[in-house]
Amino acid sequence: MERRQFISLSALVTTAAMFPAQLSAVDFRETKPTSWTAHSVDEAIKEMYGDVTLINKGITIGTPDIASNGANIPVSITSDISAKSIALFQDANPEAAVAVFTVPDGGSIDYNIKIKMGKSGTITAVAEGTDGNFYSGTRTLEVALGGCDG
Amino acid sequence: MKIKAKLKGNIIHVKAMAKHEMSTYNQAEKRSGNKEDANFITHITASVNEKTVFEASTSQFLSKNPIFKFKFKGAGKGDVLTMTWVDRKGNTKTSTSKIK
Repeated sequence: MERRQFISLSALVTTAAMFPAQLSAVDFRETKPTSWTAHSVDEAIKEMYGDVTLINKGITIGTPDIASNGANIPVSITSDISAKSIALFQDANPEAAVAVFTVPDGGSIDYNIKIKMGKSGTITAVAEGTDGNFYSGTRTLEVALGGCDG
Repeated sequence: MKIKAKLKGNIIHVKAMAKHEMSTYNQAEKRSGNKEDANFITHITASVNEKTVFEASTSQFLSKNPIFKFKFKGAGKGDVLTMTWVDRKGNTKTSTSKIK
């Protein structure tokens, strides 16, 4: 290989090697704006990940059976799936999307957050597996006092 | 932001609370008549030694003063965890905490 070619090639490789670190910062609100305004869970999933087939296994969502205060519902998401990202949706609020976690390389899915729900409903989590498959899990809970001010 | 990062075995357990009202469009509309006044954290990241260990894009449906708990590997006691959030209005806040 000529020297000139080699230099341009190595420059390319260096850029490619540098990019993953930067690309790990994905703001899903910027890349998938329509998903955040979708009203149904199915629609939001479609806008987020495309028309995908969900495999219903491997994700555990933990919540109280009855949440006394809808403004402050603890939700845990755990999974052993090797995933790029995991998104959380619910069907009790005006819009469906709650949050999307970008799973860092080698990171495990073990998250706890507190969310708001206006009424009783079902929480759906969808994980984008590194194997190209999409996995889902659901959890239905009762909300005694709605927390979104209508 | 309040951050607690604790090393247990080889896993770092993090609990962080961001101080933010996290108002929804409906709440903003009720309060001021303009739902565009809604403000909530839209993106939050955590990193140690320039490596991202946690990242989430978020919506108005996180609770007020939202709490984030997560775990990661690959850092030790004394390393500094840096967390940054950005909200809908473009405000941003960065806080750090040493891993204990």
